[in-house]
Amino acid sequence: MSSSSKRGMLGLALVIPSFLILLVVVIIPILYAVKESLIDQHGTGYGLANYIRLFTEPAMRKNIIYTINVTLVSTALTLVISYALAIYLRFGKGFVVKWIGRLYFVPMFVPGVIATYAIITMYGNHGWAARLLLPLGIETIPRIIYDYKGLVLANLWFNIPFATMLLSSALASIPNAVVESARDAGASTLQLFGRFILPLSYKTMWVAVTFIFMGIMGSFTAPFLIGANSPQVLGVAMQQVFSSYQETHTASAMAVFMFLLCSFMGYFYIRTMVNDADAS
Amino acid sequence: MFGKKKMGLILSGVLSLSLLAGCGNGGNAATATGEAKDTKAGAATGTTEISLYTGGSLNVKELWETLIKDFEAKNDHVKVKLVYLPAGTGGASTLDRLIAAKKSGQTDTDIDLYEGSLDDITKGVGEKLWETVDTAKVPNLANVDETYLKQVNNQAIPYRASSVVLAYNSAKVATPPKTADELYTWIRQHPGKFAYNDPSTGGSGSSFVNTVIYNFLPPEAMNSDDPANMKKWDQGFSLLKELGPSMYQKGVYPKKNQGTLDILASEEVDMVPAWSDMALEQLAKGLLPDTVKLTQIDPAFTGGPSYLMVPSLSSKKEATQEFLNFVLTPEAQTVVINKMYGYPGIKWSLMPSELQEKFNSVSSGYRSFNSGELQQEIYKRWQSEVAGG
Repeated sequence: MSSSSKRGMLGLALVIPSFLILLVVVIIPILYAVKESLIDQHGTGYGLANYIRLFTEPAMRKNIIYTINVTLVSTALTLVISYALAIYLRFGKGFVVKWIGRLYFVPMFVPGVIATYAIITMYGNHGWAARLLLPLGIETIPRIIYDYKGLVLANLWFNIPFATMLLSSALASIPNAVVESARDAGASTLQLFGRFILPLSYKTMWVAVTFIFMGIMGSFTAPFLIGANSPQVLGVAMQQVFSSYQETHTASAMAVFMFLLCSFMGYFYIRTMVNDADAS
Repeated sequence: MFGKKKMGLILSGVLSLSLLAGCGNGGNAATATGEAKDTKAGAATGTTEISLYTGGSLNVKELWETLIKDFEAKNDHVKVKLVYLPAGTGGASTLDRLIAAKKSGQTDTDIDLYEGSLDDITKGVGEKLWETVDTAKVPNLANVDETYLKQVNNQAIPYRASSVVLAYNSAKVATPPKTADELYTWIRQHPGKFAYNDPSTGGSGSSFVNTVIYNFLPPEAMNSDDPANMKKWDQGFSLLKELGPSMYQKGVYPKKNQGTLDILASEEVDMVPAWSDMALEQLAKGLLPDTVKLTQIDPAFTGGPSYLMVPSLSSKKEATQEFLNFVLTPEAQTVVINKMYGYPGIKWSLMPSELQEKFNSVSSGYRSFNSGELQQEIYKRWQSEVAGG
């Protein structure tokens, strides 16, 4: 056996354990879910009935559109806010910047359920916000809890710290010299952002977007507690179909559909990474 | 650690007691040796141990811990091991295990007592999973209302119960509704002041929904799983839809039983359907303001007992029956009320009079509801027509 094929064998042997773990905990469950989703709800045979139901039942279709809407809007808002915050933290100076830099990731250490209840007591109908505004003569605040707005708010709370942390580390690696020389050459702030900062942190931005998107797509606790009764996000609807209606096959179809949505995002992510690797 | 220490104390107490008994019995030599042998064996194996499988919330676990302690303090030859499976983690698998054991022809399981719902009993009946209980084996069964035993063909013991009642803020509502129709009128007249939880997330909401739907049907339909009844739901559902805009925030249905109690506590709403035991417990702990009062309407909301079943495969039935007999004494039932704020499994008239008085507002009864798989159809239709409509 030649030394190169020996090395190849060694490489394969080293990869096999992690591949086996991947196979057992990821690939087989996915294949199993796909198989389950194809079984008719009455257990009579294979078919696409569950998927047809997913896209033809009005309530379910509303749920799907609602989920995609919430996810896209929350992801976009998170990205814009985190980017602005990260840039402010990277280039701003002074007391406020220092304290924001110390405190912004605190929400990441607050468990989801507790944060959700905090949002309820803060923005609920008789919550803190309403009580604080009462002396100012404002008697009704817009409905935030049990509404689309509350859900987006919760998503921002959960995702901004994480995205800001990722982007901050990317921005920290941009040398000051680059920024200063561009300024010397007469670049405006907008040009500086578009030509230097964005390209240099672009890859990290994709990482952030991918994780935010997938996190929000699969979220459950906050939407369950502060979302509206209808439409619901897919995570909550899936739980309902699975344990309240006990229609496991339809729930599997929903899981596969959510997986496809996320892998669509993953595809873009991987393509960017591969292109980037090729370019360098 | 403390528990173990205590157990050790009890065990050593049992040991010394049995030794004393052995010594004192010197009159008849033959029986004395026989008895000494028995007690010796008992002491050596640590008496008979039965295991009780239970699920539910933490308060159920605390209830059993107290009852078992009381029981073991009085009994030296039966020990009860509590196997607690928190709600949603494995209650169903206990039943699956029993069914599997039966089907595979085993003759003994280590599950000697199982706490479950009406649903569990019916699932096990086909497999002849449960031992029939009667007063010959458990004398205190005479304390239990016979109708509840007949409902389950003496296959289980309804040892505690609770029901859904109306919880209202008496500072805002002077005269609470007395009938279902009065309640609907009240809801229409006070928009935004009533809420029930999403029925698929908790029993108090589903009781409200079931009551609205089945009040239009003959009473016997409430305990039937005949799919033909589904065609008669329209009137109920249109009433629910009509009430929707008068509900909390024009049709927000909070999640879980606790969801509505929370907004009752924060005075966002003035009236909600609630489980009697949950509401009473939270009143006692000050989680609900003391202006909150409970009442039952006519026809009543639904409710029901929790049951204890003896698996027919258990090999320690005598010891189990002794424990069951204890659970059905007024002392043990007082613990049920004080700890769980539930209704006693035995007749109210056997309970201490001050407890009877305390529970006067909610003890007027409940209707039982068991429509089998139709319940899921109700949830589905509610989700698409009432929540999504």
